Amino acid sequence: MRKPAKGGAVSSLRLSRRGRKDLLLAFLLLLPTIYILLKTFVSPIIESLVWSFYKYNLMDGSDVIWVGFRNYKQIFGLNEFWVSMENTAYFTVFTVGAELVFGFFSALLLNQMFGGRLFFRGIIIIPWAMLTLVNGLMWNWIYQPGYGGLTVILHKLGMLSANSNPIWLTNSFKIMTFASIADIWKMTPYMTLLLLAGLQSLPSSLYEAAVMDGAGFWKKIWHITLPQLKPAIIVAVVLRIIGAFRVYDILTVFSGDPTTSVSFLTYNYAFRYFYLGKASAMAWISTLFILALILVYIRMLKRNSELE
Amino acid sequence: MKNKFGVTKFFVIALTFLMLIVGCSPAPKTASNSDSSASKTPDSSATSSASSGGAVDLNTLDWTKADDPAVKNEEVTILAVDNDGTVSKMMQRFTADTGIKLKILPVDYNSLYNKITTAALSNSSDIDLVEMDTIWAGQFMSGNIVEDLTNVVPADIQSQFTQSSLSSVQFNKKLAAMPYFSSTKHFYWNKKMLKDAGYDAPPKTWSEFREMSKKLTKSGQYASGWSWKQAEGLNCDFVGMVYSFGGSFFKEDGTLNVNSDGAVKALQYMTDLIRTDKTIDPASLQWTEDEVKKAFFAGKIAMMSNWEGMYPALNDPTQSKVVDQTDVGLLPGEGNVVSATVTGSEGISIMKSSKHKLASLAFLKWMGSKSFQEPSFIERGQYPVLQALYSDPKVKAADKTNTIDKILAQFQYGQNRPNGPGYVEWADILSSEVFKALAGNKPPKQALDDAAQKITEAQKKAQ
Repeated sequence: MRKPAKGGAVSSLRLSRRGRKDLLLAFLLLLPTIYILLKTFVSPIIESLVWSFYKYNLMDGSDVIWVGFRNYKQIFGLNEFWVSMENTAYFTVFTVGAELVFGFFSALLLNQMFGGRLFFRGIIIIPWAMLTLVNGLMWNWIYQPGYGGLTVILHKLGMLSANSNPIWLTNSFKIMTFASIADIWKMTPYMTLLLLAGLQSLPSSLYEAAVMDGAGFWKKIWHITLPQLKPAIIVAVVLRIIGAFRVYDILTVFSGDPTTSVSFLTYNYAFRYFYLGKASAMAWISTLFILALILVYIRMLKRNSELE
Repeated sequence: MKNKFGVTKFFVIALTFLMLIVGCSPAPKTASNSDSSASKTPDSSATSSASSGGAVDLNTLDWTKADDPAVKNEEVTILAVDNDGTVSKMMQRFTADTGIKLKILPVDYNSLYNKITTAALSNSSDIDLVEMDTIWAGQFMSGNIVEDLTNVVPADIQSQFTQSSLSSVQFNKKLAAMPYFSSTKHFYWNKKMLKDAGYDAPPKTWSEFREMSKKLTKSGQYASGWSWKQAEGLNCDFVGMVYSFGGSFFKEDGTLNVNSDGAVKALQYMTDLIRTDKTIDPASLQWTEDEVKKAFFAGKIAMMSNWEGMYPALNDPTQSKVVDQTDVGLLPGEGNVVSATVTGSEGISIMKSSKHKLASLAFLKWMGSKSFQEPSFIERGQYPVLQALYSDPKVKAADKTNTIDKILAQFQYGQNRPNGPGYVEWADILSSEVFKALAGNKPPKQALDDAAQKITEAQKKAQ
């Protein structure tokens, strides 16, 4: 937002007195916004970076001490941290992969002409529009042993013998898997919408030409839809990866186990144990991971546009 | 050239601006332990209030001035657990009794801790009083969140409380809160189901419990259900179990000890019940106390361990399918131990950041007195913290199910959980490892050894 304004400002410096006046006014008008943005976004980021070099335990009455990189070292040696990283990675790969596949095919479907298309395009947003926590509570009910939806349906379908009553959420792997399913249900519509927008911009002439060459359904998808949709797919996947990497709220419904995600662990360190220094360090490490992902994303986008 | 200069100038200005916002040193400030609000001893202030006359400092913690007419214009805000609106109704009587306005922010127990700490972190003075669970006393005192009431509440008032309710709100002999209600876990059983299985009396020992459980479990019905979801409820059940198997959570020198022989025996026993005997509803691993209560009310389990407040609801046909079929008594023991249970008594604390401390103190004075404690039992079944009320004729008359003596009997066997500043982290570690054993992912002994090692590490890292 600020970048174009800055560029304009610099060039207008050379313009005239009038231009300078305009610049001053613009700057004055921008000032409150800049102040709020700096205070709410930039300042906490810097503050947390500084905190990450301190031993800062808020709730045990101990002193605040400069410890250098000790927090980082401890976190890299922390078993829980790596377990939570693994779980987060599993969650991210599983959910984004499944959402991409389901989202792609439902986008294809919704791109076809059929009666009630508008209606279906409308209702597919509902899971996405639901509060994550509400979604979590609903799935938590589904996963209850005994009377929960999943057990009941499996019993009725005969896929589960009458005597067996499995407990679905007994270890972190199961919790991650079932939480992923809940997340896939909720976020697939988001993927669908992004890909549908991409699909609509594809020229139909390409498909007509392909049909003339004798291409079938899969060939059309492989040789036309996928390559043409690539920019949209990259955007959707990267946004979802960043979102999935930060997963926190849905997991708290299913379990009190903080090693299920890095955000959960960071939250616990910050707001349950109040090790603010260590939590800041942990937050910075996961931020760097996300930054790396964003770099990959920018690279891919760049390469894609160069190819075109 | 000029252009370049402009850019540099812009960045210099921006950087200065940024420095101003972040502050010259964004380093965390050391927690100040200075007591700005004068918490005088009751004796010394008694004389000063007599001489000073009208002028009352409304932000002072002075027991003798809590009834001063000047306090009447104040309004205090309290954060308390209230799931059905009955607590708010009860507390509103404070305004009727004293004239001080009371704003109640009702929350559920699981969000209480976060709401308190968020308010404390943001230094907001919106909340004056908070409900404090016994396990947070150390953190709230060391973290400088709540006022130290040791010298604020007069000794003769403190001596009126039951020993267990008072010790629940103390950390290192310091009073972090005013006792609010007394609580432990109790043993509830379904008389009809026990009779159908051929038993006239509830189990006295855990061995009996295990044998009876085998007979009580049949299709569609489990002998018992437990709050063994990986959360604090699991720790509560585990603590009671450890003490009944002769274990303890503390070594002789007072340090934490989670893998004593008794603890291993207790966890082995719990694991056997759920994994070998399969007499416990397997859903217990996903249940909190509330779900256990529902299963018991629905007649799906024959026995449970739970907090007070089940009666009179258990005998209300609109809520319960087991009307007049149930009873409450001592949790089983084992060997020499008659019974053991975990205490869950709570208190109400005054936030350090409060700007209405005198009015808040007036609330505590009222809340800790008969004016609140008596109706709170009669109407809500919440157990009083005042020793005298247990022989009060009105309280006795309200006890239609004759449960008060049975509940009192269990209170004698209450065991406190550790409440040092690190408890929340230790508790997370413990519940995680205990859960692993119950879910069959680790043998009990190894789970507890791992828990002990991780807790030691956590304590070291916190240094």
